[in-house]
Amino acid sequence: MTQIIKFKLIYPKWEKLKGQTTFNLPPHGPVVFAASLPEYVDVSFTDENVEDIDFEEECDLVGISMMLSTQVNRGWAIAAEFQKRGKKVIFGGISTMLHAEETVNHADAIFLGESEGRMEEVLDDWRHGKLKKVYNYMREQPPIESVGPARRDLYKRELYNHKGVQMVDLFHASRGCRFSCYPCAVSYLGGRIFRPRPMDRIVEELATIENNRLFVVDNSLAQNSEWEMQLFKEMIPFKKKWISHTIEDDPKILDLAAQAGAWYVYQAVFDTSDYIKERVKRYHDYGIGVEGTILLGLDNQTEDDIKKLIDFLLEIDLDLAEFTVMTPFPHTKGYDDLKRQNRIFDFNLDHYNAGQVVFQPANMSPEKLQSLYDYAWSTFYQDESQESKMMRLFTKVMLKEMEDGTWKPRDRSLANKSFGKDVVRNIELKK
Amino acid sequence: MHVDSKYFDEIFDFEGEWGLPSKCGLKIIRKPGKKVVVIVTELYQDNPGSSITYGAGSLLQQICRAKGLEWQDVIYLECNPDTNSKLSFYDEEYYQTRFEMIDGQLKNPVYTQLDDNSIKELIY
Repeated sequence: MTQIIKFKLIYPKWEKLKGQTTFNLPPHGPVVFAASLPEYVDVSFTDENVEDIDFEEECDLVGISMMLSTQVNRGWAIAAEFQKRGKKVIFGGISTMLHAEETVNHADAIFLGESEGRMEEVLDDWRHGKLKKVYNYMREQPPIESVGPARRDLYKRELYNHKGVQMVDLFHASRGCRFSCYPCAVSYLGGRIFRPRPMDRIVEELATIENNRLFVVDNSLAQNSEWEMQLFKEMIPFKKKWISHTIEDDPKILDLAAQAGAWYVYQAVFDTSDYIKERVKRYHDYGIGVEGTILLGLDNQTEDDIKKLIDFLLEIDLDLAEFTVMTPFPHTKGYDDLKRQNRIFDFNLDHYNAGQVVFQPANMSPEKLQSLYDYAWSTFYQDESQESKMMRLFTKVMLKEMEDGTWKPRDRSLANKSFGKDVVRNIELKK
Repeated sequence: MHVDSKYFDEIFDFEGEWGLPSKCGLKIIRKPGKKVVVIVTELYQDNPGSSITYGAGSLLQQICRAKGLEWQDVIYLECNPDTNSKLSFYDEEYYQTRFEMIDGQLKNPVYTQLDDNSIKELIY
């Protein structure tokens, strides 16, 4: 019988953007990875965003899973702590892939690519003291059928709860992306070929998720109309309510999405055209909310353009808006262009949070762009706060759930907790 | 966003970052008495791996090996082709790229964006 391996899996914390409502969602990458580990691996998972790491916890091997560039420096520091204690540390996840050349200097091993069907080899090497510095599976993606239900049992559920309200569960129905969007590295990370998971595997996984609210994290569901419609048809019986990125702009598909429980979508707003206005309206016509995602600092934007764009957002009845500044993540066209033009001046990955300007914009100073980013947030939410707009969306989903009988009351026992911490209420008692 | 074949004479397969199978457009212009001009063109959605800019010196070395060229005798241009996108950052651009040879590898790329006249002079 193979000896049990105690594997400590860590998701490093990062500094959240100032002035924005913080929600800690249960991370997806680590639990998808954990599902690819053999049965003889006993996983202990720590999401450092919601709990402290116990560096003294007994374990055989440490894994650090990183999604964001802003986790990388912290991931390296965590690795150093464990290495001081004689533990081997292996890194994986998408920001390990983006920053592999630097991360390899802080790791006993880095894993590049998708882990399904690969971990037996890695663990065998470790057991025999032959851990390789790099496990490179970037060019050999596993069969998409081998992606199994994520290990959501590893979550400490009470830590992803805000005042009794459970956060959404993350879920993915496909990998890869056929698009080449300017600021995005997904086609490098997951390949340029859209790889939908087989419907029976999707259904199998959905059936394991107790949470009635999901975030379908696929970069774009609008990659294959037939598949997208089939997906929504399969989702209807589950009566989940869900958030996703773009849904194809087709009445039949939008209708099916609404039937399948589409709650709201993240939709990129890149100009002030009637097309965008109509696109938002069409989502609303089907009862689907829209959170606009607005990237500031592109080379075609002047200060005036950005101000007009923000005015436009206020006109088109967006439910929410999320502003980011252009950030040159490696393996994006944005990075290539800015690198060639020698316009990146800040290489500290802690600042690559899409809220801090790290490059010289084409039509303004970095300081001006930074102030326009602040202006965008404050102007959009000046008449109604982000919390209040979120509450409206939340109310809509509760009403839908009450209609179809899926509503679950909040957990009263956690009413005074927010992500595992006590809620501080500033209530002044009358004397 | 397919790239017009006018930009290249052949598709060149190269090994990108971490061995990733990658593709670029390749045009080699030879004129008597002048340095050979090598133009690599980004293929965007038809490139499954690393971009030409990420390929950098390694890409030039792979081209030199495959085509029997010496890197010192080459003027190396990276081309962002016009893709008829309504987004201006997919407009046509050419960058002359120079490298240093360090321990057998071409490193530290320095880019110079070329204006229309310089491009015409080199290509036509």
